[in-house]
Amino acid sequence: MSGPLQQVLSRAASLGGAALGKLQHTRIPGVGQASTTEPAEVSAARWRAVTVYTDDLAGPFPELDALGSDLEVRMQAAPGGRGTELAARFHGSPTTDQIGELRAALRRTKQLAEVGEVLRVDPQPHGTRKATPQGAALEGAAARAPKEGVL
Amino acid sequence: MKAAIWAGVNEVAVEDVPEPQLLNSHDVILKISKTVTCGSDLHLIGGYIPAMRAGDVLGHEFTGEVVEVGSGVQKVKVGDRVVVPSFVACGKCWYCAQELYSLCDNGNPDPGITEGLWGQSPGGCFGYSHAMGGDAGSHAEYMRVPYADVGCFLVPDGVSDTRALFASDSVTTGWTGAHLGGTKPGDVVAVWGAGAVGQMAARAAMLLGAEQVVVIDRLPERLAQVRRHIGAEAVDYSTTDVVAELRERTGGRGPDVCIEAVGMEAHSTGVQGAFDQVKQQLRLQTDRPSAVREAIRACRKGGSVFVLGVFAGMVDKFPLGAMMNKGLTVRGAQQHGQRYVPEILRHMESGVLTTEHLATHTMPLTQAAEGYRIFKEKADGCVRTVFEPGS
Repeated sequence: MSGPLQQVLSRAASLGGAALGKLQHTRIPGVGQASTTEPAEVSAARWRAVTVYTDDLAGPFPELDALGSDLEVRMQAAPGGRGTELAARFHGSPTTDQIGELRAALRRTKQLAEVGEVLRVDPQPHGTRKATPQGAALEGAAARAPKEGVL
Repeated sequence: MKAAIWAGVNEVAVEDVPEPQLLNSHDVILKISKTVTCGSDLHLIGGYIPAMRAGDVLGHEFTGEVVEVGSGVQKVKVGDRVVVPSFVACGKCWYCAQELYSLCDNGNPDPGITEGLWGQSPGGCFGYSHAMGGDAGSHAEYMRVPYADVGCFLVPDGVSDTRALFASDSVTTGWTGAHLGGTKPGDVVAVWGAGAVGQMAARAAMLLGAEQVVVIDRLPERLAQVRRHIGAEAVDYSTTDVVAELRERTGGRGPDVCIEAVGMEAHSTGVQGAFDQVKQQLRLQTDRPSAVREAIRACRKGGSVFVLGVFAGMVDKFPLGAMMNKGLTVRGAQQHGQRYVPEILRHMESGVLTTEHLATHTMPLTQAAEGYRIFKEKADGCVRTVFEPGS
């Protein structure tokens, strides 16, 4: 593969991941988080939470512990027998990457508690991957997807 | 192994690809016996859902034989002949506990994409793009199925692969619409679309007790199937004013339950059809919703409209005023197959639910490109093309 093409594809993959990151802050009505109107620092300070379908949720949570001592964790019973709300937030001003890691860690923690293991998807059988900017952008978005979303 | 892949917009190819592996302890590997085209594949192939990567294996409606089981699988055994719903569901989260399996919290390992689009992520779907989890599809000789004890259902000895095949998606999707649309004994149910899903929604409505079922389409061979194999009434929208026809057939009331089984590439006539085509091609709307609009128009006051066809994004000219002022319940869902497959297989075994007529064309997997061509063009009376990877 030629150098310039490699650079284009690498750039496209990076842009794909970044575009996904931007989507949740997009304010087009009906797309993404249209309600995300608050300043980024206010949003960054919010609790991120998953509801785990068990009444007996108990730590330790290695996935969350791995994020360091700046992380504050709380649990409370969800209403209506929906299980236990597991929430976490960083003290101070976390970076976008830290929040992404927290989303992924919360999702893995929920799966470990509910199913016992984290669902894997790679490697999957696939045919020829054409080297296109669109394809590279999609791969970048898919790679970043566990760390993105509204959580 | 051989697999049919998406190679680019409107390009399907058959290639040699690596065989799948057990990745989680709850996985099984199936040797695929039959796998079938679906209208929703056309949205992927045509580029309307832009989350396909060249090389992705297509297919989400299939039967197979279990050839390998993970260490954590308890019920499913090597040698089992099984049918599997299209959606990947863990069976352990709150949504699965409510039997809303396609909403599983743990079925999509890439939830960030759909959360960004829709605010929440549904479960994953086999062969249905990286937005829906990136699981390889069934148009292959072998396939990995996660959460096998939740998703694999033993096919009864008396049910052929061809009949059971459609319990994977067409019947389960149709059943989801008829059941969650609230069909009750004595109801009048109208179904837009006489493809496999529409026909099965109609049959499900009848088995749930509907007294009168009307199916709407424009293709004569599909309308003939509705009359002959489903036992429902058929209306040709290309020659009939559908809303007027339904009003006349229902004593002026309109249907109690209206099920839309068409999706984002709906065809329609006149100004509305041209409007939707132009707006979709200009990306001013992503989806063409003409059947949904008509269903809302036709539905009786206080009735129920169920959106079964696949939509991805935005529509224009949505009749919100009619929906609100007529007091309609509008609901949609992907299929909650794990909830309905046992009941569906019982009906298939007893003979009251037959699907073989949907398989109008059967061919080896190596002819997948041709199979999709005739399916997309609805050539030669094609309703569904079934591929046999082993032949």
